[in-house]
Amino acid sequence: MSEQNRPVFQSVEAVQAQFAQWNYIADRALALTVKLAADLEKPLLLEGEAGVGKTEVAKVLASVLDTPMIRLQCYEGLDAQTTLYEWNYARQILHIRMAEQQPQERPLLERTIFGDEFLLNRPLLEAIRHPGPRPVVLLIDEVDRADEEFEAFLLEILSDFQVSVPEIGTFIAKQPPYVVLTSNRTRELHEALKRRCLYLWIDYPAPDKEREIILRRVPGIRAALAERIVAAMQALRKIDFYKRPGVAESVDWSRALLGLEIDELRAETLEDTAGVILKYHDDIERLHTIGAATILKGGTE
Amino acid sequence: MRGDTPPADPLKEVPSALSQLPETLLTRTLELCRLAKEAQLGVTPGRVIDVARSLRGIQFVNEDDFRLALRTNLASSRAEEQRFDRVFKTYWYGEAENEGYRLGVQTELLRGNFDQGVQEAHQDIIGQLEDTSAQETHRNLNLTARWDEAAPPIEHTVRALAKRLATRPSRRLKPSPRGQRIDLRRSLRRNMRHGMDMVELARVQRRVRKTRLVLLCDVSGSMDAFNPFLLQLMLGIQKELKNARTVVFSTAVTEITSVLRRRSVQHTLQQVGETVRHWSGGTDIGGALTRLNRSILREGSARSTVAVIISDGYDSGRTEVIAREMRALRRRVRTVVWINPMYGAASFEPRAQGMKAALPYIDHFLPAYNAQSLQVLVRELARV
Repeated sequence: MSEQNRPVFQSVEAVQAQFAQWNYIADRALALTVKLAADLEKPLLLEGEAGVGKTEVAKVLASVLDTPMIRLQCYEGLDAQTTLYEWNYARQILHIRMAEQQPQERPLLERTIFGDEFLLNRPLLEAIRHPGPRPVVLLIDEVDRADEEFEAFLLEILSDFQVSVPEIGTFIAKQPPYVVLTSNRTRELHEALKRRCLYLWIDYPAPDKEREIILRRVPGIRAALAERIVAAMQALRKIDFYKRPGVAESVDWSRALLGLEIDELRAETLEDTAGVILKYHDDIERLHTIGAATILKGGTE
Repeated sequence: MRGDTPPADPLKEVPSALSQLPETLLTRTLELCRLAKEAQLGVTPGRVIDVARSLRGIQFVNEDDFRLALRTNLASSRAEEQRFDRVFKTYWYGEAENEGYRLGVQTELLRGNFDQGVQEAHQDIIGQLEDTSAQETHRNLNLTARWDEAAPPIEHTVRALAKRLATRPSRRLKPSPRGQRIDLRRSLRRNMRHGMDMVELARVQRRVRKTRLVLLCDVSGSMDAFNPFLLQLMLGIQKELKNARTVVFSTAVTEITSVLRRRSVQHTLQQVGETVRHWSGGTDIGGALTRLNRSILREGSARSTVAVIISDGYDSGRTEVIAREMRALRRRVRTVVWINPMYGAASFEPRAQGMKAALPYIDHFLPAYNAQSLQVLVRELARV
């Protein structure tokens, strides 16, 4: 896709509308950034607190564009080679053993032993080899957990979308994937990588946006209850917990309350179900100290 | 570059992308890019081109879209986003606060937990503390000007220290001819040429894993005299350990990791002096620990971290915050080390309330008041 052709998204509003069809409420900043990323063919770097919906953006983008999403989950010690491909050694050895039983020409054996059926495509190679019809969405999740060497490697891949497998040849992406990177900001990323991308910080949603998210994702919940949930979550986020609850927790909590057939948000409700929202024991204790009732009234002392 | 169309020459693209913009828009855009660059954003020619390309694709509803389109191209962090927004606001609405903007940027860097009024009060407290213990403090100062560039011992010591702190064995294995364990997979592969009889064996041994280090350094008034020494220590450690992070605090908390990555010591010292304006103010250890626990130590990566706090424990904040945050810190990181420059003085006992509150949660409490104690420090830290 080049700029001479039709753009992927017609307008910023179109992005918002299409995302909304998949129950993702995108504000104008996000929609604009997504459109630009598609138009300019640049990777998109999303940063923000845990649970604000960074990974979701990639998933919804894939749904909207009707294309698969390939996910590369980064972790400390992630080896660059592992993200590209591996040979299926066990299968190769079996093949050789079996070939020993029947005499076979060596060149033929050599050709097949390093053939596609013995190649295990890992996420990056998979994304590059994707045949289409549309470019795939490549999600590189929590890139800040990988190390600097991996970032340098990633930079190379993102520039050319080209991979060499010595035994086979070079693969070049026919259609470069839509790349979404997410980071939890545990450390600074390499300057060169950051400059390669369009950037957006995703914050916790505003109350009305959060309410809409809950209403869409938890069908069947009463609007009044959703309002109360949102108010409580907004108040909770003002407290400096070790891990502040995100939108994911709002949705989980709403589902939990719906499932428990709880209609009203009382202090006991919050205290009993605190484990859905807060994942650290210290945080739950803090909640009890401050008092569920106080929080529900909107105070944070 | 990609796809079926022939590669586009980026230089040819510049005039067309930019020239298709209406003139006023073009002028404003370029001015904003220039202002952004002055505000220390990473504005490169490539990015300016992308800005121009972005503008062609968006039907603008209002100036907000314009701002967003520029910002997503030019900013690369939340802080940069906020800086850009300020630049834009100043430019667009012509607010006469250019001077204020500059100061505003610096204040941003020194953002602390207290507002101005409270800060002053804490200065007084420290002043009082210093009066009474000034004599004793100065008597115990063996460090001050001794630790300058012409003093090789500290470089040496720091490097040794850093190396000791830096490594520990990992569970992951790497190929090694002298390894203890046999790598079955690679052995099989290698032996394919021998018809699957195990003639050659591939071995592995444990990788050495770099420890993450987080340095929390008190640079407040009472620690003033130790500054040159501390700087050398922080610099040295940051250089040796590429994934270390250094944070300084007094009443405000600032991370200086990226500043310390510069090459020349002089330049770094100057830069640190400029950025960290609160170099000698009051002390809020609790605030610094809070910031450490909330933002710098995220879950997942904290378990392999060694937290090193360098402070004398004199604190003007809330002691219960120190206790609470130290308890949390202790649980999240591998080891907590506290280096107290006052420790080792003959009459030392942890009088400082902050020190007392923190003591139960410290794994290793170490002195660092002269060259000798530094050697002891290195030795002890080797056991960390």
